[in-house]
Amino acid sequence: MSLLELFAWMTLLFPLAGTIVIGLNGRRLPRRAAGYAGTAALGLSFASAIGALVKLQALPHEKRHVVAVAWDYAYSAGVDAQLSLLVDPLSVFMILVVAGVSTLIHLYSISYLDSDEGYVRFFAFLNFFVFSMLLLVLAGNFLILIIGWAFVGAASYMLISFWYRRTTATNAGIKAFVINVLGDVGLVLGTFFIFKHLGTLDYLKAFESVKEGFPQTNDGDLVAGCILLLVGAFAKSAQVPLHTWLPDAMEGPTPVSALIHAATMVTAGVYLIARMHPLFEQAPIAADVGAIVGCATLLIAGTTALAQTDLKRVIAYSTMSQIGYMIMGVSAGAYAAGLFHLMTHAFFKALLFMAAGSLIAAMAGNQNLDRMGGFRRALPFTYGCMTIGGLALAGVPPFSGFFSKDEILLLIGDRGGWFWILYVAGYVGAFLTGLYTFRMIFRAFWGEPVPEARELEEGHLHHAEVHTNPATGEVEDTAVGFPGPEHHIAERESTMTIAMGTLAVLAVVGGFLQIPQVTHVIDHFLEPTFEGSALYAREPSGGLIAFGLVLGALVAFAGIGTAYYVWVKNPAIAVSVRERFAALYKLFLNKWYFDELIAMLVVRPALWFGAWAQQTFERIFVNGLLVGGSTGVVRAGSSAVRAAQTGFLRYYALLIVVGMVVLAFYFLLAS
Amino acid sequence: MTLHLSIMLWLPLAFGVLGLLAPPKVAGRLALLGTVLVLAYAIVYVVDFDSSMAGLQHVTDETWIGELGISYKLGVDGLNLFLVLLTALLWFSCTLWANFKDWEKPRLFYFHLALAQTSVLGALLAQDLALFVVFFDLMLVPFFFLTGIWGGAGRVQATIKLVIYTLVGSLLMLTAAIATGVLAARGNPSLSFAFSDLAQRTLGESSQQWIFLFFAAAFLVKMPAFPLHGWMPDGYRAMPLPVLALFSGVLSKVAAYGFLRVCLPLFPDATQQYQTLLLLIALASILYGSAMAFTTTETRLILGYSSVAQLGFITLGIFALNAQGAQGAILQAFNHGLVVAPAFLIVALLAARSEGSEDIRDMGGLAMRAPALAALFLIVTFATLAMPGSSNFVGEFYILLGVFQEKLVIAIVASAGVVMAAFYALRLYITTMHNRTGPEVQSREIELRDGLVLVPLVLAILALALYPQFALTRSEPTVTSIMSPGTVSGSGWTRYGP
Amino acid sequence: MDIGWYLAASALIFAIGAGGVLTRRSPLVILLCLELMLNAANLALIAFARMHGNAEGQIFAIIVMVVAACEVTVGLGVIVAMHRRRLPIDVDELRELQG
Repeated sequence: MSLLELFAWMTLLFPLAGTIVIGLNGRRLPRRAAGYAGTAALGLSFASAIGALVKLQALPHEKRHVVAVAWDYAYSAGVDAQLSLLVDPLSVFMILVVAGVSTLIHLYSISYLDSDEGYVRFFAFLNFFVFSMLLLVLAGNFLILIIGWAFVGAASYMLISFWYRRTTATNAGIKAFVINVLGDVGLVLGTFFIFKHLGTLDYLKAFESVKEGFPQTNDGDLVAGCILLLVGAFAKSAQVPLHTWLPDAMEGPTPVSALIHAATMVTAGVYLIARMHPLFEQAPIAADVGAIVGCATLLIAGTTALAQTDLKRVIAYSTMSQIGYMIMGVSAGAYAAGLFHLMTHAFFKALLFMAAGSLIAAMAGNQNLDRMGGFRRALPFTYGCMTIGGLALAGVPPFSGFFSKDEILLLIGDRGGWFWILYVAGYVGAFLTGLYTFRMIFRAFWGEPVPEARELEEGHLHHAEVHTNPATGEVEDTAVGFPGPEHHIAERESTMTIAMGTLAVLAVVGGFLQIPQVTHVIDHFLEPTFEGSALYAREPSGGLIAFGLVLGALVAFAGIGTAYYVWVKNPAIAVSVRERFAALYKLFLNKWYFDELIAMLVVRPALWFGAWAQQTFERIFVNGLLVGGSTGVVRAGSSAVRAAQTGFLRYYALLIVVGMVVLAFYFLLAS
Repeated sequence: MTLHLSIMLWLPLAFGVLGLLAPPKVAGRLALLGTVLVLAYAIVYVVDFDSSMAGLQHVTDETWIGELGISYKLGVDGLNLFLVLLTALLWFSCTLWANFKDWEKPRLFYFHLALAQTSVLGALLAQDLALFVVFFDLMLVPFFFLTGIWGGAGRVQATIKLVIYTLVGSLLMLTAAIATGVLAARGNPSLSFAFSDLAQRTLGESSQQWIFLFFAAAFLVKMPAFPLHGWMPDGYRAMPLPVLALFSGVLSKVAAYGFLRVCLPLFPDATQQYQTLLLLIALASILYGSAMAFTTTETRLILGYSSVAQLGFITLGIFALNAQGAQGAILQAFNHGLVVAPAFLIVALLAARSEGSEDIRDMGGLAMRAPALAALFLIVTFATLAMPGSSNFVGEFYILLGVFQEKLVIAIVASAGVVMAAFYALRLYITTMHNRTGPEVQSREIELRDGLVLVPLVLAILALALYPQFALTRSEPTVTSIMSPGTVSGSGWTRYGP
Repeated sequence: MDIGWYLAASALIFAIGAGGVLTRRSPLVILLCLELMLNAANLALIAFARMHGNAEGQIFAIIVMVVAACEVTVGLGVIVAMHRRRLPIDVDELRELQG
């Protein structure tokens, strides 16, 4: 085993070891030990990822794809599934982002979750979550990919319903899991379509033989397979219409939201499309479907975020919309740009969630934006981080999000044709991003300080003695895991400060890795993975670049300016706009009615069928006709025979005698 | 090394009879000893198994009733090896579990338990059609008594229903088996019921058809498959839990195994002809079982209907009629038994914590003081819903892939069953372990003795999840030899170089 | 003497026994009548043995006697047990084993 393979395995195995060690021993260790152990496991994993990076760069350009095989996993009857990892620039890029950001989130959680009864369980799950994501991105064939894919879904379920005494949390968990399983099934069926023609599950073998297996572009089976792969990507990356689990997933603890949104899970779809690019390039129709859905998602999420009042949900919808950009990008062939945005987004989204967590802690668990305000002076560090994150999210130069988002739009604009529609929609989305992000920041940090903010300014952190679930009004059960009355804010906890500070720096400078016509770090690094791609690393014309950069900056400032005008300068406007466009507001507030739509189309028919089967079909046909019928025949037969058994002894004797006489006569007559 | 299969086959019964003679307190220990020895034997067979060989190994072949051509022929190959291991493992676990409980008439109880094991092993090992039928029908007898004497409320009604309904199937099978032997003997010097002989003497197409249908009916009832599962709800409600774990874990697999052992090799033309019919029945079982599993509130029935759905998957794999489907079906049969038995035992634990109620509406919040139970149950739940990474997933993957190559639409519709499984399995987990505590629920950790039974089973699930190849390698040669060009439709396949 | 006479006597005794079994209700009398039937058969067996000049018939007769003795023992035992439990000594009233 080469050192590179060893590093790849170590990246994967440290979090797994962390899960097992913490899960089995965590309760016996002193408080916070589980947190430090989990963080250390992730730190080591990140260090191994760096080792893999160094070793990979040492290889010659064309040999930068190494397959590390552990053993035959399911290698039989023509299916060639081994337990194998593929180490190439794309997977190394992903493990660096995943392990790096996850380490910081673990660090943050050490103190954030401190007063939670489920502390040990939390870190065991958290490590498992990261392990799953690493498995997903390191997988060397379709089967291992599906396993990582499903593990991520399972881990997200466990963490979303982490406070399992809340019915809202368990419902959100099962919703996330079932939608994710739907995605898994899509992935499995897509794999079948591809396997049918290529006869292999191995990535490299499959990608090599795409042209032989599907000689024509847009082969029916390939398009079907790619669209099914997209179903998997949409479910995991919360794209329309499989996105409804993501806002509900805010039921989990805030670091979990950060993990789901920044480092793991939702980026999986982007990775998948980038990984499968040889297939998608052979099936452009499927790629176009991905681009259009990504575009639709970014608009729907952006508008929905405008009307939400739950702090974490606003950030959740912003994630959906940003992932929409990435999906649109990688589907349209802007691979490096999409992955670049994935990375910068990981930085600033993790930062935003951490800041939101700190703010929520200051509010003693309350997440309602309507209740917040004026935290600027009470939480200066949190405010600073939130602002940096917000500026990066809105795409204000020179923050990281500006460069990455613009590069995606640039390359889409460069495709020409109908891609211009996506290009324009992308800028509309960018405007919305500025608007809703700063609506959130202005409402939470500006304006009149709320009582909690005042208290904090005087040095008292507000603590809630009794928590109630905002959705149901139930009193929370703090005995099993819901955080106790105590809370932790970034201003007072060094681990939280370190984690947020690091991310804030990254959110500012992350974009400099790739400035159009200046630096090309990501482009060059990822090139070996996308070697055969026709769409990779196109260089748009200088005019388009300049136009895009200026337009992007202008749109971002316009969004922020509008937000300032509406929510700070002149708050009456917000109310009047809301009344003027009541129907639209209602649509956004109710999240475009997707939940209701799915309930009507899928959930209710299924339950109705189940109930009908239970009450009618089972009773009348299965139990009545089939079982009743066959047992009835047997019973009727036996009761007929039973009638002969009268119990009169002499009657039996008579029968014997008559029988003998008949026999005797028979022999007499026969002889 | 020759290992006589007869020793393993009759060991449990011998210990059962010994238990009848011994004092009541010792009977359970004796039965346990018997299952331990059988388990040891089974492990030796698995280790000793030559996975490059397609044919039977460790064959015992004696004439039993010479005039009728019935022989006492036993053997293991890739088809039954892991089912034998499953039987040995589950009987050990359930007998151990039963040992921690007090039973009325313990000697009789353990005798029936042992008799059941011998008959199941017999049905699995038999390589003669008549012998197979004898053991297959014998299986019913101990379960009749186990349900009728030690069962729960409504046991008499349930037992009668179960026995009559499955006996109807068995009678059909008996008729079909005799007809097979007799019709096959035409033009041959002597009667023979040995599978190897019958496979050579293929019947005419028309007689194949009705005989196949008779066999199929018997197997489908036993499984049970939709719409012949009518005996299942009452039967499952009435059986004592360790017995139910065995019934659901092993007996249903014997029926699925019957298809592979009897129908496919002996009636190749009819199998081809009725492939679509059987696939549709399997599909209906998957969808119907899943739909029922997420509407019912009784824990036993959730697992029962989920078994209907899972057996649907296994049937689907068998009637894909290609190597992938069959490989998946064999693996899945082992997996499902390994998963459903601990699930039923966990139901017993859940019921013990909620005042004996087995209705999910009376449960909830059990995870609070029982993290170990919650963890074990979670692993079992994930395996039940065939989460990728579990061996169950590998089984389903192979099955669906096999069907996909033959009948694309059926595979796609069947995959809806996977999504439904996610929902009903998690619903069971959440409503029992999570949410608010039920009114009468006492949350407490599992005891050491429960752990002794559950932990090895869960470890087996995990081990197989890491290395499903272990099972696949051993069944591959036999499966490919059964799916010989005569029955494989579509193109052949080759093993790709590593 | 002609074998016919023996057989006639045997048949007559058998008929008397059978008639008794069919008409009487007391288990004791039924047992007695059964004895009559058995002994009628014995008579026929011995007569045939004599006619053929071999011992097989006699052996049969002896076996029948042994069986008859057992049967009487069990039968009388049952009747005594019935009496102890104060059950009616009447076969028509003892018909719990009906279907």
